[in-house]
Amino acid sequence: MSNTRTETSNVLVRFLKTKGSIVIFIVFWLCASLFVDNFFSLDNNLLIIKQAAIPVICCLGITVVLMTGGIDLSLGYTIGLSSIVVGIFVKTLHMPIPLSILLTLLVGLLVGIMNGVIIQVLKVPAFITTLGTGYVIYGLAQIVSSGSNINRLPANFRVVGVTPIGGLNTTVLIALCCCVLFYYLLHMSTYGRSLQAFGFNPNAAKMSGIDTPLLNISVYVLCSVCAALAGVLLTIRVNCAQPTMGNDMTFEVITSAILGGASLFGGIGTVIGSVFGVLSLKIIENCINLLNVSYYTYQAIQSIIIMLAIIFENVKNRKL
Amino acid sequence: MESDNNIITMDHIDKYIFDAYGKPLHGTNVKILDDVHFDMRKAEVHILIGENGAGKSTLMKIIGGLIPYDSGTFTYMSKPAFFKGPKDSLSQGIGFVHQELNLCQNLSVAQNIFLGSEPLKKNSRFIDKDMIYEKSAALLASLGFEIDPHELTSNLSTAQQQIVEIVKVLSYNCKVIIMDEPTASLTQKEIDKLFGIIRTLKEKGISVIYISHRFEELKEIGDRLTVLRDGKYIGTIDMVDFDYDTIIHMMVGRKLGAMFTTNHKTTTDEVLRVENLKIAQRTAPISLHVNKGEIVGLSGLVGAGRTELAKSIFGVRQYYGGKILYNGKELIHQVPKKLIQDGLIYLSEDRKVEGCVLPMQIDQNMTLAALHQIFKNGYIDKGKERNICNQSVGELGIVSQSLQQKCNTLSGGNQQKVVFAKWLITEPKLMILDEPTRGIDVKAKADIYKIIDDMASKGVAILFISSELPEIIGMCDRIYVMAGGTIAGEIIDKKSFTQEKILSYTVT
Repeated sequence: MSNTRTETSNVLVRFLKTKGSIVIFIVFWLCASLFVDNFFSLDNNLLIIKQAAIPVICCLGITVVLMTGGIDLSLGYTIGLSSIVVGIFVKTLHMPIPLSILLTLLVGLLVGIMNGVIIQVLKVPAFITTLGTGYVIYGLAQIVSSGSNINRLPANFRVVGVTPIGGLNTTVLIALCCCVLFYYLLHMSTYGRSLQAFGFNPNAAKMSGIDTPLLNISVYVLCSVCAALAGVLLTIRVNCAQPTMGNDMTFEVITSAILGGASLFGGIGTVIGSVFGVLSLKIIENCINLLNVSYYTYQAIQSIIIMLAIIFENVKNRKL
Repeated sequence: MESDNNIITMDHIDKYIFDAYGKPLHGTNVKILDDVHFDMRKAEVHILIGENGAGKSTLMKIIGGLIPYDSGTFTYMSKPAFFKGPKDSLSQGIGFVHQELNLCQNLSVAQNIFLGSEPLKKNSRFIDKDMIYEKSAALLASLGFEIDPHELTSNLSTAQQQIVEIVKVLSYNCKVIIMDEPTASLTQKEIDKLFGIIRTLKEKGISVIYISHRFEELKEIGDRLTVLRDGKYIGTIDMVDFDYDTIIHMMVGRKLGAMFTTNHKTTTDEVLRVENLKIAQRTAPISLHVNKGEIVGLSGLVGAGRTELAKSIFGVRQYYGGKILYNGKELIHQVPKKLIQDGLIYLSEDRKVEGCVLPMQIDQNMTLAALHQIFKNGYIDKGKERNICNQSVGELGIVSQSLQQKCNTLSGGNQQKVVFAKWLITEPKLMILDEPTRGIDVKAKADIYKIIDDMASKGVAILFISSELPEIIGMCDRIYVMAGGTIAGEIIDKKSFTQEKILSYTVT
């Protein structure tokens, strides 16, 4: 029947629309393997995964925010704040490691509640709110650190993130756990379904009995806790707590999420997409290192990618 | 015949159902205009009437150049008409006064009037601001309106804004002016002035297409009248032959009984009681009740406060004093989530904004209000979801390719059925239905009446809000009529359900 052909093409279109990030990843990876010397080696590929682990955690957080149609520009500054805070806890105050990490995540939670409440209750647009709170958080990190870094962190703290597991390390494992958790939240529980409805049509979601205010605050909390966790792991990786750490990561993870198919207009976002979005971007960064090109090129490429991704989305939704 | 006297002639116009951009939707062959004829003479006031969804606005959008027609012939000034867009049709002499206000609130009256056609200073590219205000003042004064052209548009009343819209169109020397319900927000004094303007236009040889639901004013202003019904052309008559019953018959055109199913039996168990509720500070209090198995109509003109009342009950709008009792218990600080769990649901009048999540799939929309039903053992049971939804699709006769189809690819009628399914899955005990048949085709309407009747037969109490009098009369056991934010009258006796009686209460 004539339907079968349209059916197959529909399946293909559907696959490209939903799993496009995997296709992009494969294309990037194949191109890099073919054209960039030293890319195609096990060690290099494991390195990419290790480098991707921390951005993946942040990217999952920003994905849930993007799904509501919001944005969190304070993410990078939250990483810096949690870095210096955890540094003070473990080095200066000699607090037990589990407690230090837990308290740091609590700081992230408070940042998230602050963002969420300002956006939901006081109705300030997410863009302005998080731009503003971002600078507050940045200032706060500078104040508590007096502008200086904390070096040589205790070994029993570093164990949490750098213990090797067959070529990879515990940071990758933690990121993987986050992926599982977010996969459950977004794709198996009612939370994800509510989030999708809220992102597409907040009025209809509210009228269908979804607790939209709580939902809207919860995404910023999730995002900031992810940022705090990323801050802890990043501190472990570089063995130094810095108040300015991760400040440039906001744009990178938003780009990754968009590349992974998340929509800036809300409603769309997947865990698998975001993970492959980060991996694709990390391949580019890796190639730029291998080719000895200036790091600033990477930043420019990021901007081009985010715009191309949005243009592609507009084409996909037949807006262009 | 009089073809050389005709300024517009349209024949066999078809238009398929379209999306927000005027492009036809895929996979549907629903016509919203089906073989429509329309002709217009020079210097006449041609009235266009029909029920909601009859295709009046679509036809006007075609004439106004907003959307293209799919087939048929359309001649304007003895030449085939082709408009690239509203600006093109305006430059060719067709002006459109929209029903919704299309003014920029942040600009002054004069800036709005000359928006897009600002006069320039001599030998320069700069706008001649003095000229704009001068001309606007002259225009407004010549028509006898006391509006300051310097005033910010947002400071004007709705009626004044409507006048600015009309003046704006008049500033373009149009040959044809389309007015879509221009009197909806005007006071009697302003209506008289508007009619004065229309008569002056007629003397100048300008034709006016006039859409209205107000029968009283039609005879006063119109020359001829065309009736559309369900996208089809019914007929054109001279206003000399205007007769109320004939027109109603042309508009409704069917035996009311045939559309409606009423097999339900009413009881006396009270489900909802509203006592002295005020929807605004200054409106009179509202009291009403709805019984189990009863369909209670809530009629009235747009803006009478029906939706406000419904939203107040549903806990999504502030109200000022009064009590709402549901199953004998007073509702305090109610929220939709809790009410839905208790079986009280509200089907919103605006399907696209508050009813359906259009970019989501059919099944995802259907279970949105009953997620706890399919969330078992810590995850969404997709199998159970599929079963529930397939059952609803069958029961409601939803036409779709699969449950995974996105709702924005469905026709309006099917979208509304999906919204109905969403609420039926929650097993409601009281349904507040706000314009449940707005903008959907006749077949789907009859289906929805059947669903409503079935629910009432199962003992569900129904509060049925509608602007369409035939369906209120055909479906309801009791009718409340709202006007000016309060209940203006209650009609209990089914024998005295007439359009005239209901309309008599809406006039305050």
